[in-house]
Parts: sequence; structure tokens; C-alpha cells
Amino acid sequence: MKIFIVIPLFNEEKHIVKVLKEVSAYKMPIVVVDDGSTDSSGRKIIDCRSKIVTLLQHKINLGKGAAMKTGAVYAFTHGADAVIFMDSDAQHNPEDLTKFTRKLEGEKYDVIFGSRNLNLGVPLVRYLGNKFVSSFFRIYISDTLCGFRGVTRKAYEKIKWESTGYGVETEMVIRTGKAKLRFCEVPVETIYHSGVKGVTPLDAFGILAQVVKWRLTI
Amino acid sequence: MIIGLQIVAILFSLSMVYFAALNYKRREINGTEIAGWMVIWIGTIIVVVFPELLRTFARTFLFARVFDMMVVGAFLLVILMAASSYMRTKRLEKKLEDLVRKLSLKKK
Repeated sequence: MKIFIVIPLFNEEKHIVKVLKEVSAYKMPIVVVDDGSTDSSGRKIIDCRSKIVTLLQHKINLGKGAAMKTGAVYAFTHGADAVIFMDSDAQHNPEDLTKFTRKLEGEKYDVIFGSRNLNLGVPLVRYLGNKFVSSFFRIYISDTLCGFRGVTRKAYEKIKWESTGYGVETEMVIRTGKAKLRFCEVPVETIYHSGVKGVTPLDAFGILAQVVKWRLTI
Repeated sequence: MIIGLQIVAILFSLSMVYFAALNYKRREINGTEIAGWMVIWIGTIIVVVFPELLRTFARTFLFARVFDMMVVGAFLLVILMAASSYMRTKRLEKKLEDLVRKLSLKKK
């Protein structure tokens, strides 16, 4: 099974080189989608680019969902059977990649969700958010916002998302449930460090509003 | 009180006529659009100055006052324009997204 790693990137000049070096060790093709970064992220990738790294550049910032879609389109048109999405801020441990490849290749799951909560238990706020989603769509994932996840080509065709921003992760969960795809969760380690951007309370509120919209449209 | 409201409504309509003319001068709207806006705002001024013109019309739709009917009408117009604006923005966003993606995938 040919698996590509897709990394959406926006202004992560501090971390992207480290992420690429660590992920390159797994010898899988890497697609980095620079989503209109205004810092030197793009240049740093060009400097350290190897044969397995492809850099795609959005001329303007569209959002994480759009960058993930661009990466997926590229990967699947270049022979990928599955893609694994990873964040570019070095919060995900590349050692967890093998958990995804094992589930994709060995156990033939369609979608694999990384979860930061499986080992530690779900924080109350996140639990309530997850319950809110599951009450609408009858799918429960312990960490709907984790960006570390794997999708097969077949699954991608069924869950192609519309979200361009941070709503993409939740929309993927909802579409997975709707399409009745075979999915599982794997525990992933999160490496927290200062200056992390991620989902703000305002983004979370927007996602909740979108959940209601998806209930009516998906 | 009504006179005061009428003055405010007339001043507002006149300023909107000015902005419509300005947009037309800058070629931001075309001839049909400026004509449409002029009809709306000049019509508003006429109705504000002579509310009796619409009294029979308002009674037909069970509005106690012409003013109430105009507020409801304006509210409906705003909703219509907001919905139309939302749809246009969504379409533009989609086109922009597709274009940016196409450019990024070009020659790769």
C-alpha cells in the first residue's frame, strides 16, 4: 500500500524543518502544502527539500481544510492508496505514524483518527463537544479535533470535505459516520510547546455553528 | 415626532442616492443597477413625504400604519439581500479555492 504523508503548513518556520527531518526517516512520500505562509517556512522547505518531499504552495491563505484537500488531491493523483495527515507545528510525534500504517495496511480500516485522549481520558469540555457532535450524527470519536489521521483513497472519495478552515476535522468525522466507513482511533502523543496556534475559542464556536449546518446539509 | 422621523428618512435616502451615484461614477455598478437603486430611494422619499399614497395598500395587508408596512418591507429586503450576498460570497470563495488549488498543483 502506497501511503503519502500530507502536512498542511502555515507560518511554522520554527518547526517545519524538524518535522520534515523526523518524518523523512519513515521513507514515505511527503506532501507539504504551504497555505500562503508569510514567514520563511516555504524557503526553509526548499532549502532542506529531499526527493521524497513535494512542496505545494497556495498563493493566498485559504485555511487548513483547503490545504489538506490540496495535499490529498495531489497524493491521490500521484498513486497514493492512502494519506496520513499531520500538523506542521511539531505537536505530533512521528513515531505514531506506524500505528496508522498498521491500521491502514494490516487491519484495512478506511479512516483512522488519532486521539490525544485515549490514554489520558477526555477533558470535560472536549467530551461535551464530542457528545454534541455524536448526538447529532451518531458517531463518537474521543478527539474530534486532532489533526493526525489517516484516510484511504476509497474513504476520501466518500468524505470529501467542504470546510476550508479548522472545521475540517469535525466534518471528516461526520462524513465518516454518514458514509458508514470502517474507522478506528489510535492513541497519539501530543508534544506541547509555547507559541502554539491551533483552534481558538472563537474557532470552536464557529465549528459548533457549522455542526448545526452540516446536520441540515450532509 | 413623525415629522422628525420623516426628515431622518429623507436625509438617509438622499445620502443613499449620493452613494449610488458615486458607485456608478466609479464604474462599480452598471446602468441597470443605478436605475434600480434610484427607483428604490426616490420611491422611498416619495412615500415618506406622501404616506397617504400607500394607506389603502397598507390597510389591504392589515397594517395599522404605513410606517409599519415600510419597516416590514425594509426588513424583508434586508433579509433577501443578505441571503443573496451570502450565496455570492460562497460561490466566490469556492471559485477562489479551486483557482488557488489549481495553481498550486500546476507543473507538479
